[in-house]
Amino acid sequence: MATHALSPAVPAYRGGIYEWLTTTDHKKIGIMYVINSFVFFLIGGIFALLVRTELAQPGIQIFTNEHVYNESFSIHATVMIFLFIIPMLAGLGTYIVPLQIGAPDMAFPRINALSFWMLPLGGILLLAGFLTPGGAAAAGWTSYPPLTERGPLASPGPGQDLWIVALILIGTSSILGGINFLVTIFKMRAPGMTLFRMPIMVWTVLVTSVLVVMATPVITSALVMLFIDRNYGGSFFNFQTGGIPVLYQNVFWFYSHPAVYVMVLPAMGVISEVLPVFSRKPLFGYKAFIFATAGIGALGFSVWAHHMFTTGAVFLPFFALMTFMIAVPTGVKMFNWIFTMFRGQLTFSTPLIFAIGFLTMFLIGGINGAFSAAVPVDFALHDTYWVVAHLHYVLFGGSAFGVFAGIYYWFPKMTGRMLDETLGKVHFVLMFVGFNLTFFPMHMLGLAGMPRRIADYAGDAGWNDWNLVATIGGFIIGVSMLPFIWNVLVSLRGGKIAGDDPWEGNTLEWATSSPPPPYNFDRLPDIRSERPLFDQRHGLLSGGHGGGDHDDPAHDDAPKAIPAGGAAS
Amino acid sequence: MSSSPRKRPASSAIVAGGAVILLIAIVAIVFLSGAGRALYPPAPATAQAVRTSELYDIVFAIAVAVFLAVEGLIVWSILRYRRRPEDTELPPQTHGNNFVEVLWTLIPTAIVLVLFGLSWNTLNVVDATTNDPDVRIHVIAGQFQWQFEYLDAKGNHVATQTKPIGDGGGMAVPVGKKVQVTLTSGDVIHAWYVPRFLFKRDVIPGQTNKFEFTVNADEAGQVFHGQCAELCGTGHRVMLFSVTAMTQADYDAWLQNLVAIENATPPPAPSGAPVLKEEAKNISYVNGNLQAPANAPFVIEFTNSDPSGVTHDIDVKDASGAVVENQDTIPGGTKKDYTYQPLAAGTYTFFCSIHSNMTGTLTVQ
Repeated sequence: MATHALSPAVPAYRGGIYEWLTTTDHKKIGIMYVINSFVFFLIGGIFALLVRTELAQPGIQIFTNEHVYNESFSIHATVMIFLFIIPMLAGLGTYIVPLQIGAPDMAFPRINALSFWMLPLGGILLLAGFLTPGGAAAAGWTSYPPLTERGPLASPGPGQDLWIVALILIGTSSILGGINFLVTIFKMRAPGMTLFRMPIMVWTVLVTSVLVVMATPVITSALVMLFIDRNYGGSFFNFQTGGIPVLYQNVFWFYSHPAVYVMVLPAMGVISEVLPVFSRKPLFGYKAFIFATAGIGALGFSVWAHHMFTTGAVFLPFFALMTFMIAVPTGVKMFNWIFTMFRGQLTFSTPLIFAIGFLTMFLIGGINGAFSAAVPVDFALHDTYWVVAHLHYVLFGGSAFGVFAGIYYWFPKMTGRMLDETLGKVHFVLMFVGFNLTFFPMHMLGLAGMPRRIADYAGDAGWNDWNLVATIGGFIIGVSMLPFIWNVLVSLRGGKIAGDDPWEGNTLEWATSSPPPPYNFDRLPDIRSERPLFDQRHGLLSGGHGGGDHDDPAHDDAPKAIPAGGAAS
Repeated sequence: MSSSPRKRPASSAIVAGGAVILLIAIVAIVFLSGAGRALYPPAPATAQAVRTSELYDIVFAIAVAVFLAVEGLIVWSILRYRRRPEDTELPPQTHGNNFVEVLWTLIPTAIVLVLFGLSWNTLNVVDATTNDPDVRIHVIAGQFQWQFEYLDAKGNHVATQTKPIGDGGGMAVPVGKKVQVTLTSGDVIHAWYVPRFLFKRDVIPGQTNKFEFTVNADEAGQVFHGQCAELCGTGHRVMLFSVTAMTQADYDAWLQNLVAIENATPPPAPSGAPVLKEEAKNISYVNGNLQAPANAPFVIEFTNSDPSGVTHDIDVKDASGAVVENQDTIPGGTKKDYTYQPLAAGTYTFFCSIHSNMTGTLTVQ
């Protein structure tokens, strides 16, 4: 059942900033998500550069108060995870999902606006910790008790409470967004848009939303318990009064491991949109890809304790086996992507280059993860810089490259103008080189025994050279943002006019104008496969009412025999 | 559907194939030249670490093979199949291939199951504990120092090493002997980590963790660097320790010395010396200002009221920052009388050698 009662008529036009502050249009909200997330990306990046500057060489350079160092890496990670990657991908989804399923908006436009506005509020609360006595939260983004219990030996200041409240707010935003996505995807698809004709991006957002709705309440419970411990004398995690510190870790990671997939699945969705378009081929193994995505989502709930192998309080064989097994569906996706390019015709526009960056780097993030799945090896590598390397290859090499692929891909749709290709390639090269210089040496540092979260190290530990390389790389990543920001600012005014479908896209967002009008579509092409625009462009639709408008005769070079419907038939 | 790809110029195959060979060559050169050494863990120093290291080698070999195969496939695809001006027709619209998809599901499954089996096998050695270890050590972790309590076969106290690493502290173990370590913490979570043992284990308050290791016989005389690996507060990075591997004879002498130090009666305070009082609580001195007479010995009666894992002392430095008095740390819940040598008149700083933020002013006049 995919019909939908149309929303009320467009209200009277509201100008400028008032329109943006009060909008319930998923496209405007999506763009605000993206901008807000990017601002927090820059804030989190500045904290990362402070940390890298301190570690460039042995000795204390800038953090004479080492507590501020601990605040810096804690806030860096919290901001990057909860205020950049998760909302950035949610923002791309908010913009794209209704367009890709042919819907006029999200199912609950006002809740959509609420979800967004909780994010800057949460971010401000988090950063407000710096203004309080004792500073911001300083116990790492994981905030393990007893270090986060109130008390002079732990975290006495209100910064930790602000961290808790901020995360509860952001989590609530996620839950509302997840429910909104689920209802939108299940109830508002256009006629003909069956589940197995949905773009992969929509599928990944669907699975992500299930993860969010199932897992986020669990971390919220951990945060509430910690708040009660700190402020009302609770005994959930306080060992002196019978609480169990490891309980927090179990509850925390029950959310935070699936959260890794929340952070990477939609980026995989972006890649799965970009690769087929720029290879001029359908995604290889569309259904297998969907089952792999669902499989990752399901297995993702059974691996959380691999973050706790060294606690001595984990049933090791189960979690080790599950952790190894989750490599299988991930590998399936990797081969699907590669075979999408295989025997294709690749056009190296910036979105494809970032997508290839994702493939090459996420591969390393998957492989170095297998080391930690081997429990004895994890005993050596856990809580060292190896893990820092691993998580950044997944979340930066994977998710962040995917995010930029998505931004370059959909910027023309969002703004009606193209981004500059040369600046985009400069951005990619700087970011790719900087990324590898920063994070690859961390493998060596971790193997050599450098623990995470230390402000300084001995000059004779043998860690000096790789740390210096990593810091130089960090600043190259920082510099790589300049051509990107310049590109966006210049292209908004003077970029080439994009037209409806600049990339020869396959999915419905390219069937409307750029940017799309309120409520998105005047008319929709027939949907007979997962590539309705491809079918339309190559005359594979028999009859129907969707032809004409967007057909580009120059590209009307239909192959001899393609079964309409393809894998989705 | 036509399955044969259209003809592509041979040059693209040469370029793509060359790039893949280059990738393999670079990786080979890195490892053959020894530069790849940095991608291996340090030389294993215990029987358990040797097993972990062997497992690492296997995982690493498979990882490099998978990396080269998949990364090579990516490089091949992007160089061989770039779009050319003459590409006006669409490429074959392949939607999938059941055979290869089953293949690339089953082969990785087999690989990870083998890896699981191997790591399970190794884990049973690395993580095994017994009832008859040769040496028993109870490690007490506290912000931000380690103490090592040596126990006899029945688990009774023999002696405790309370000195911080800067004062000749740290643990010692005999080589070739089964050492069992139990870990406890009285404040927050720490982790006992020795890189050359390829091992760490969390020290969790309210929970006793246990593990065993046997240092290789050829490591006698080596001092292994150890460090807290779980963020435990502002002094996390200074929570260092060392493990000195000794022959059995050296170890026995070392332990006897430790017992002797512990049982020695402290020299009596000079009669008539003034007695000052100081207490440490919540990682700070209760009394931040002390006064002592110039050019005469004096005593500080020191009470450490923090949890047992948290050690403190009262050292003294002069206005230039030079340390003029260096006392031994005492664990939480204990008392000690420190005797200080005569000091010239002036203003000094007294401080805890474990907690850099614990300071007070000592006025000598």
